[in-house]
Amino acid sequence: MARCWRNRFRDAWCDMSNRVSNEIKGNTKKTGRGPKAIIFACRWCALIGADGAGKNRVQLPLNFRVIPVECAARVEPDSIIRAFSYGIDGVGVLGCHLGGCRYHNANHRALKRLDLLRKLLDTVGIGSGRLLTSFGTAHEYHQFAAILNEFFQGLREFPPIDEWARAQMTDAGKG
Amino acid sequence: MNIREDARRAARKVLEQGKAQGVLGLREAGDGVSPHLFEDPGDIDSLVVEPKWLLAKLATGILKDLPDDYRLAVMCRGCDERAIVELIKRNQLDGAKIHVIGLACSQEQARACLCTRPYPSEVAAGDVVEGVDPFQDERARTFLEGDQRERMIRWATELKRCVKCYGCRNSCPICVCVPCKLEDDLWVGRGEIPADLISFHLIRAFHLSDTCVACGACQDACPENIPLMLLQISMRAFLMQEYGYEAGTDRERRSPMLSDLTKEPSPGYEIPGWVDSLKDSV
Repeated sequence: MARCWRNRFRDAWCDMSNRVSNEIKGNTKKTGRGPKAIIFACRWCALIGADGAGKNRVQLPLNFRVIPVECAARVEPDSIIRAFSYGIDGVGVLGCHLGGCRYHNANHRALKRLDLLRKLLDTVGIGSGRLLTSFGTAHEYHQFAAILNEFFQGLREFPPIDEWARAQMTDAGKG
Repeated sequence: MNIREDARRAARKVLEQGKAQGVLGLREAGDGVSPHLFEDPGDIDSLVVEPKWLLAKLATGILKDLPDDYRLAVMCRGCDERAIVELIKRNQLDGAKIHVIGLACSQEQARACLCTRPYPSEVAAGDVVEGVDPFQDERARTFLEGDQRERMIRWATELKRCVKCYGCRNSCPICVCVPCKLEDDLWVGRGEIPADLISFHLIRAFHLSDTCVACGACQDACPENIPLMLLQISMRAFLMQEYGYEAGTDRERRSPMLSDLTKEPSPGYEIPGWVDSLKDSV
């Protein structure tokens, strides 16, 4: 006779919890916590990709929040800078394909602006790898997952951004 | 050729020929200099051209209080003129009311400011010298290139001396926004000790990114000698490289940030071809 369905359910649950806690341990073994990220997703393309990734249960990194916006151009670079000052390790801005913005190529302007912001982040030492931009994630949940996994892979190589703040406050930089 | 005499001659000529009703320049006062609006050609004997002091922001301010038909001449260095051009493009100044009297900077001044263009479009006084490439300067390179961790620590060491005096924002000729985001608690936490500096300086640097004319007024004004101009150098170089744009050099061309890739293309990006109807795609 087949095992009782309650046992199967419990086994599946334990298996999932173990997998999740191993993920967390994997993320935190170097620094004590994994990198945190905020992803601004344009609701016409990128958010559908994000939803699809969730529905289809693809492997996604932990510790990120998605903020839906009407268009990627809605994201002010000041919000990105403020996120870094709050201690968020990485910020992503995902929008529609370059020819496909329903707000008359607003994503072009977002792209240009964010490229320029990347230069500034690079100069100051925060690092251009902390800003992810993708203008082509549309309904493609596996692409969304791949992009995010790659982004977090990169973020784990960087020190946590609090170190920037700490370097400011202490005399670490003298000499 | 004495730059001071040439400048005085040019200013006197402007007043006598009626090209402007007043000349905004520097004059000796006490032990130093102070900005002054010269309206009488006889006063021009006290006009001086040293040290470097930006008059573009003052011009914006006093034009608001002067009568509507007043034409103001301004003693401009290269950076002053670029600032005036940018302000005209952004509707902060009426181009018809400004007459520029050009001053060229000396080699020492160009080197001190790491200026790539130490001369205005028309020079009335001073000899034109070659610009300096900031990426060749030893000290600047430690802030712009090299190992990222070391650069981060260098910038953190400099920026942590900031006391948020707002001197950089107040002296910048381009910072004219009312209200200013840097006074908003939401973006730049107010009343925190020590202050949060990533938000203040990076927000300001990014707001100016495509308009900064590299005048150096910010770092001249900083009481802590933070090399603020170096924050902008990479962004200016990027705009030059990708779009061929330098702020303040063209009275007509607006910033490439304000238009699509179809109008101001960037070499790195191709726009995919889209068809409007299924019929065309088959």
